[in-house]
Amino acid sequence: MRDLTRLQRQPNVRPLMEASDENLLLRQAQAGELGAFEKLVELHRDRVYGLALRMTRSEADAAEITQEVFLSAWRNLSGFKGENTAAFVGWLNRIAANQTLMRLRHRKVVSQIEASLEGPQFNERGSMLDEVADWKSDALGLTLDAELSEAIQLAADALPEEYRRVFLLKDVDGLSYEEIGDITGDSVPAIKSRLHRARLTMRSAIDAFYQDVESSD
Amino acid sequence: MFNCKDSIDKLLEYLDGEVAPDVKHHLEQHFKGCSPCEEFLKQYRETAPLCRKALLRARMPREVADRLTSFLRDALRKA
Repeated sequence: MRDLTRLQRQPNVRPLMEASDENLLLRQAQAGELGAFEKLVELHRDRVYGLALRMTRSEADAAEITQEVFLSAWRNLSGFKGENTAAFVGWLNRIAANQTLMRLRHRKVVSQIEASLEGPQFNERGSMLDEVADWKSDALGLTLDAELSEAIQLAADALPEEYRRVFLLKDVDGLSYEEIGDITGDSVPAIKSRLHRARLTMRSAIDAFYQDVESSD
Repeated sequence: MFNCKDSIDKLLEYLDGEVAPDVKHHLEQHFKGCSPCEEFLKQYRETAPLCRKALLRARMPREVADRLTSFLRDALRKA
C-alpha cells in the first residue's frame, strides 16, 4: 500500500493539477502521487458517474458507486499494467461496470416500466412490412434534438434489464463483448443476440419519433 | 438469395465484419435490390452512435463531485 501520509508531507510534492499530459498523470498516480490521482478522478468522474447512473437510474447509487470505483482504482493501480489513457479508461469502465452490476444484483432491481422488445414485422415470405421513416440526414450532426434525446432515454430505460445492461455497456460505454462477458458471466453469442434485439428496439423507438415528426408536419 | 428477415437477422454480425464471404455477398445483393432494407441498414448503423450521443450526457452535480473529492481524500489518507 502506498504511503500517502508521507507523500502529503513532502513539501515538493505539490498537487499536480496543472499537468496537461494525462499519460504523465497516470504514470505519476501509478507511482503513488495522490495529486495526480485526484486530477485523474476529476477528468473521469463524469464518465464513471454516467455509467452508474444509466445502469442504476439512481443518483444516490451512482454517487456511491463512483466513490467505490475510484477507491478500488487507487487500491489496484499498482496492478494496472496499461500505459496510456485509453487503457486506463477501459480499465476504469470495467471496474465501474463490475461495481454497478454487483449493486444491481444485490438490489435485484427489476424495472417496473419494462417494454417488450420491438423489431420489424415480416410477412410469411420474410419481406419487411414496416414503413421506414425518413430520419433526418443530420441525425448524427452536432446538435441532437432535445426531444429525440428524451425519446432515446425513455426507450433505453424501458428495455428489459438484461438487454439494457448489454446495450449500455457495449453501445454507450464501449466495452467489448469479451469484457461484458467477463463481468456478467454471459456468453458472447448471448450478449450479441441481446445487443441485436436491443438495437432493433432502440431503432424502432427512434423511427417512431421521426414518424411522429413526419405526421405532425 | 436472402429475404428481408434473413438480412435483418444478420445485421449485427455483418456490421461487426463477422459474416462469411458468401453470406456477405447474399446480404449485399439483398440490400442492393431492397430499398427498405437498405434504409433499415443505414438506420441500424446510426442507432448506436445516436444513442451514445443522447445518453452520454450525464454530468456529476457539483456537490456530488465535492463529496467525492472529500471522500477520497479521507479514505486514501487512511488507506
